[in-house]
Amino acid sequence: MEANRCLGYRISLTCIGAVMIKFSNVSLIYPNSTTTVLENLNLEIQEGELVLVIGSTGSGKSSLLRLINGLVPHHTGGILAGDVSVNGVSTQMVKPGGMAHLIGIVGQNPANTFVADTVEDELAFGMETLNLPLDVMRKRIEETLDLLSLTSLRNRSIATLSGGEQQRVAIGAALVTHPKVLVLDEPTSALDPIAAEEVLSILHRLVHDLSLTVVIAEHKLERVIQFADRIVQINGDGVAKIGTPQQILLESPIAPPIVHLARALGLKEIGVSVRDMRRMTSEIREGAYVQQPTREASIDNPIITIDSLSLSYAEKKVLKQISTNVYAHEIVAVMGRNGAGKSSLLKSLAGIMDGVNGAVLVDSQDPQKLKGKNRRETIGFIPQEPSDLLYGQSVSIECAQADSDNQVAAGTTLSVLNQLVPGISLHAHPRDLSEGQRLGLALSVVLSGNPKILILDEPTRGLDYQAKNELTRILIEFAKATGKCVLLATHDVELVAELARRVIYIADRDIVADGTTLDVLLSSPAFAPQVSKVMSPQPWLKVSDVIAALDNPL
Amino acid sequence: MNTTQDIVTFSLKNFVILGIASVFSIAGFIWPFFYSGKDLPKTQLFFWLAIACAFIVVVFEISNARLDAKSVALLGVLAALISALRPLGAGAVGIEPMWFVLILSARVFGPSFGFLLGIISMFASALLTGGLGPWLGYQIFAAAWIGLLAGLLPRKVRGKLELLMLIVFGAIAAGIFGILMDLQFWPWALGANTQLSYLAGGSVAENLSRFITFHFATAMAWDIPRAIFTVVLIAISGGSVLAALRRTHTRAAFMTPVVFSERVK
Repeated sequence: MEANRCLGYRISLTCIGAVMIKFSNVSLIYPNSTTTVLENLNLEIQEGELVLVIGSTGSGKSSLLRLINGLVPHHTGGILAGDVSVNGVSTQMVKPGGMAHLIGIVGQNPANTFVADTVEDELAFGMETLNLPLDVMRKRIEETLDLLSLTSLRNRSIATLSGGEQQRVAIGAALVTHPKVLVLDEPTSALDPIAAEEVLSILHRLVHDLSLTVVIAEHKLERVIQFADRIVQINGDGVAKIGTPQQILLESPIAPPIVHLARALGLKEIGVSVRDMRRMTSEIREGAYVQQPTREASIDNPIITIDSLSLSYAEKKVLKQISTNVYAHEIVAVMGRNGAGKSSLLKSLAGIMDGVNGAVLVDSQDPQKLKGKNRRETIGFIPQEPSDLLYGQSVSIECAQADSDNQVAAGTTLSVLNQLVPGISLHAHPRDLSEGQRLGLALSVVLSGNPKILILDEPTRGLDYQAKNELTRILIEFAKATGKCVLLATHDVELVAELARRVIYIADRDIVADGTTLDVLLSSPAFAPQVSKVMSPQPWLKVSDVIAALDNPL
Repeated sequence: MNTTQDIVTFSLKNFVILGIASVFSIAGFIWPFFYSGKDLPKTQLFFWLAIACAFIVVVFEISNARLDAKSVALLGVLAALISALRPLGAGAVGIEPMWFVLILSARVFGPSFGFLLGIISMFASALLTGGLGPWLGYQIFAAAWIGLLAGLLPRKVRGKLELLMLIVFGAIAAGIFGILMDLQFWPWALGANTQLSYLAGGSVAENLSRFITFHFATAMAWDIPRAIFTVVLIAISGGSVLAALRRTHTRAAFMTPVVFSERVK
């Protein structure tokens, strides 16, 4: 038993470390529900371990995280069997407030949790509530600023920080109370790849330098997998599997692209990092293959014309003098750092942006001047937060409203929805749906209007792999129809690799790259998808590219 | 059985203290009718202090144990919303978009919550608008009681009838708020020598008739627009605001059983 447990640790030292979090025979049922979220979960997390929790949306990842500090069931109600204890303190005996000094929690969107205006005040807030003496607070703020490299930001207003910096402040605010455990619920979902890297390397350092125990739930496995010591995989039925990344990913349906690559290549072992995989696949890379012919861009009339467009937002120039066209059947990904102006560009195309200078034509009409039905038939726009489009009290009301707005037969929207995300509860409130379901609902509301162009702003934050595959399928299907095209802004390079034919990369208020997905993604290591990192210098972006090439050796 | 913390509710002891505080406050409003001296007294300050002290006692009493994180969060968010809505009217005649939120919130979250929300939001909005002055104590008292009464409306009524009930309540509350504010202000409003002025030492009937005339002479400017505005806002947005607040109530899982057991089924 002991030896078996130790299998899980890469660093043999942690094997003799103290048990920090212990789940013994934990089962959970929420009130007004008959299904168990977790069933008979046994789990011991050692001090200084980084444990990754994976599972599809709604499988109970967040429940597991919130069980650790007792928010479940103390705050939510429910029946908890078995026992959860942290550092020997059982959550049965102590309420969440009593665990505050032991456990720090960081959520998906740090902006939702900030209390103060400046970085320093935010860091102090947690200690204020614990009533720590002033000199201790000052000392800890300094050490936390150093630890998270926030010193240069200490007096900045939090609202002006980038996403990665905000997430670092949130982690700092959780760390000032010197917790023994840090729990993070999708900490990198909303971040661009570089900011995500920044946050994860900080976590990696905390685990190794301070022996902090970290539990993370994350959908974007490709980002975190190489940092994880162990994985807890929760299946929909409440049963959980625990093991090393290699053990779990060998069979898990939820897996990052490199694992799919390893499976497709029939490798016996699975590498969890690009480095491991490159070592295993050197033979394949060195082979010679028939070059796939690159498809020529269409030359018909453009659907979207952008001519020397300048945008300003809050009196700041966001984009200046950019020009480009989008043609029929194209799926174009707009990429760039957080705050580069992706959203502003999309909004100006949707005609809902002020401060537009220059010409934008969508289907030879000015999007600013489109109204009513004509607008819905030309532009479908899904904002970053899809629930901004949803204001009905239930899914069925929302669908009926969309039917009558778009003057289509009753039930049209609902049938689109059932195609996109089957099994959605019609009586559910749109805001109670999972991220994937909510996106599906917003998408079906927009699609029932049968627009010519579809614009999506960050559609994949919070989506699991399954929902992402579904989205990919739908968008490709949509772009096939006559006279339609799709534009999306995203940080998700894996999605871009699967989906987009063309990438526009925005930086420094200008388009710095505009070309085929292959050209743009391969030219930058930060934005290269995992498969291409493994297979470089071969020009392959996704698993299917590799397989296709292997079938055509020279 | 163990449950999650309930939304803030007053205990019997709280209600007793609340009753004492209210007696003070009511006296603060209606003293002009029972005062028998000839000259205007300097009582305003005394009553204002009394009200403030009484409410501090109430707030302390409640916050002892009964306020948990969820109630505090709800109170904070709604009070901030109401406080932000109040200056929107910017002093324009009776455009006070705060009342409908207070009434609807109290309807959903109950009388104790409504009472606290009235106190906190009136106080916070006074800080925002710079409306600190001798009238603040009276305003706080009035808002708190409007919240409490809205929470005490029959709970079973739902749908169209509920909206109608809230509209009627909103109109009455807006009117009564106007009467009370006039009342605290009236003895000092006009000087001693007009037909509508407070007659120190006069009979109750005499002063009552003078006050009622005074009230209706000034009501057109403030109270009637306020009532209309509140009623229209409840009628237009009441359904969806109630639904959103009720959903919050469900999601916050107040008074939900927490069970630790051997097995779950």
